[in-house]
Amino acid sequence: MIEIKNVTKKYGDNVALKNVSFTVNDGEIFAFIGHNGAGKTTLIKSIVGIHEFDEGEILINGKSIKIDSINCKKEMAFVPDNPELYEQMKAIDFINFICDMYEVSQKKREENIKKYAKMFDIEKNLNDTIESFSHGMKQKVALISALAHNPKVLIMDEPFVGLDPKAVYDVKEIMNEMIKDGKIIFFSTHILDVAEKLCSRVAIIKKGELLKVGSMNEIKGDTSLEQVFLELEG
Amino acid sequence: MKKYFSLIKASMSEGMNLFKISSKKKNATSKIVIPIFLALTLMGVMFSYATSIMEKLHEVHMEYVLLTLFILLTSVLTFIEGIYKSGSLLFNCKDDNLLLSLPIKKSVVLFIRVFKFYVFELLYNSIFLLPAIVVYAMYVKPDISYYVVSVIGIFLFPIIPILLSCILGAIITFASSKFKGKNIIQTVFTIALILGIMYLSSNMENLFVNIANNASNLNETITNIYYPAGVFIELATSFNIIKLVEFIVVHIILFALAIALTGKIYFKINSGSKSIRKSRSNKAYKIKSKKPICALITKEFSRFINSPVFVINAGFGLVLFIIACVSLVVKFDEAISNLIAMDAIFTAEYLKSYIPIILLGLISGCSFMTSITSSMISLEGKSFNILKSLPVKPYTVVQSKVLAAILIMVPCLLIGDIIVFVKFQFDMISTVLCLIASVLFPLLAETIGILVNLKYPRMDAKNDTEVVKQSMSSAISVFIGMILVGVTIYMLYSLVGTNLSNNAIMAICIGVFGIAYFALLMILNKTATKSFNDIDV
Repeated sequence: MIEIKNVTKKYGDNVALKNVSFTVNDGEIFAFIGHNGAGKTTLIKSIVGIHEFDEGEILINGKSIKIDSINCKKEMAFVPDNPELYEQMKAIDFINFICDMYEVSQKKREENIKKYAKMFDIEKNLNDTIESFSHGMKQKVALISALAHNPKVLIMDEPFVGLDPKAVYDVKEIMNEMIKDGKIIFFSTHILDVAEKLCSRVAIIKKGELLKVGSMNEIKGDTSLEQVFLELEG
Repeated sequence: MKKYFSLIKASMSEGMNLFKISSKKKNATSKIVIPIFLALTLMGVMFSYATSIMEKLHEVHMEYVLLTLFILLTSVLTFIEGIYKSGSLLFNCKDDNLLLSLPIKKSVVLFIRVFKFYVFELLYNSIFLLPAIVVYAMYVKPDISYYVVSVIGIFLFPIIPILLSCILGAIITFASSKFKGKNIIQTVFTIALILGIMYLSSNMENLFVNIANNASNLNETITNIYYPAGVFIELATSFNIIKLVEFIVVHIILFALAIALTGKIYFKINSGSKSIRKSRSNKAYKIKSKKPICALITKEFSRFINSPVFVINAGFGLVLFIIACVSLVVKFDEAISNLIAMDAIFTAEYLKSYIPIILLGLISGCSFMTSITSSMISLEGKSFNILKSLPVKPYTVVQSKVLAAILIMVPCLLIGDIIVFVKFQFDMISTVLCLIASVLFPLLAETIGILVNLKYPRMDAKNDTEVVKQSMSSAISVFIGMILVGVTIYMLYSLVGTNLSNNAIMAICIGVFGIAYFALLMILNKTATKSFNDIDV
């Protein structure tokens, strides 16, 4: 479970997150939506321990990211919106590096890397350096690295940007498979159709303030998520 | 015209900001006072050098030689540095797509890049040249024309060395892009070229003697070879407006011609240098596990090896250390016989007993002037967030960077040590002390480097050169390194005159730096996590 309690984050005088609170339960796909600069990436980076926040608390399966960040991070995986990977490394070396950090056993990593590399059709490119990859290929490498250690919580910032249709389909399949095992998927997106079809719950943020949070039916009722979003943003 | 000014302004503000620090505390002290302090201190050192040289020259009424020497010094420095900086500044720019998609001529893009390089070198050269110009004015009291010529000269002197180094840098980049491991090839080519230039210049005695026979003195020798120095001295000593106009026009024409003629070739080389060879073999990829700290060290090592400017900047001192050790071994007997011939009180054994002290001085010079870690945090750039999101303690990441730097430096120092040990057969204590210094001094230097880089990270650099050569962190580390070398020389020099044995002198020196290292290690242990977490990318 991810518990976000009264989180506030400021950049100087600019309030990026204002008293944000909500919970993501086990076995949920949770979408976090908002316009550009609304605070989505700031919250995501706070959850995964990249940004420190000024007030509030974030708990990952009961552990505080502020106090016990290493153990929290061990349970999570993060896929950034613009994968800034180590360009000089071969893709396989990068994936191995991330596995080393999570201390993934040889057997488990062999199994997972092969499985996801095949799924994303990137097996032949794993010996190439990352600098030769397109955005979509880098995104695939970031996804394989994230999935290779079987995280309990998968956090993704705009995961579908740059991916080809087949890879988008595969990511959705992986997400559905993961929630069957009681894992958590938390992601931000601008693609409201995907969020509507895929997610059990959703949160909408505007200028650092949470406008709405709830199940998909509670949020959209008989209308579409797009319409609700535009009304709230309006 | 307005768009070109906007372009230059945007480009300069993005790429040339030496004072830019990606830190939460962007206070005025960090942004302005420290760079000014560093520049003024260096200028002060140059001023004292210039004054001591001028005192001798003044006695023989050859004050203008001071200007010749300083022009030559800055030109050579700019040329050598430019060879390896140009590869990164001209060919590894992240704004290629943006600039090439704009409705501007390609030659303008090239002009902007060379211009940025020029502005940086102009600032750098001024630190060395201004003191010499002031000292000359103090002794000679020239008329107003000298000041006018000097100001124009300061602006013009970097042009020729920059153009020459850009051409050589382009050739190296072009040649290395033809090979598979282009970064490593580029590094090897560049180091070989710089060493070649240094070797040739040290073996040009005969050439200089010949020229000197035709000229009346050293000044004429240099001014006959190097046009800018020659014309400048002529203008400084007897002003001539036509000569001044010629001086300006020649430089402007050279600059414009170089941009116009090399424009097309540059973009061919640029696109060639970016082409990445993909593995054509169907070799199976290897999945292998490592301990986190080993994986982090491997990652740092890979980053280092794949950045030519980083390797050359850090590795050059190490190569010079080995060359110095070899020279000590090869030239010692010759030097000893010359010294003994000069003064009968010296014996070979007596002079030999000081070799451990000399070696300690060389280890200090190499270690303290080679700061690898001062760039390692900044070189993470935007990928720093990967490290922050991993389940690894920040201190472990910091440790891995220091250890990687030590693994790069210590083997080179040990090679030099062993060469000297074998020839001079050190006693056990001297051997152990030199070995301790070969590990301790790099540890101290790299701990300082990482502390400085954590305090002054530059996470938004456009290329590696901006981090390695033009960042606050690297400037401060070099400055601290210079101080530490000075401290070593002062300690050794003042203790050699006492009754202490050479081993005791070395032990004291090592002890002082040992205490400094452990103090800094405690500071690093205490502050690393906070500083690491404070870095926002």
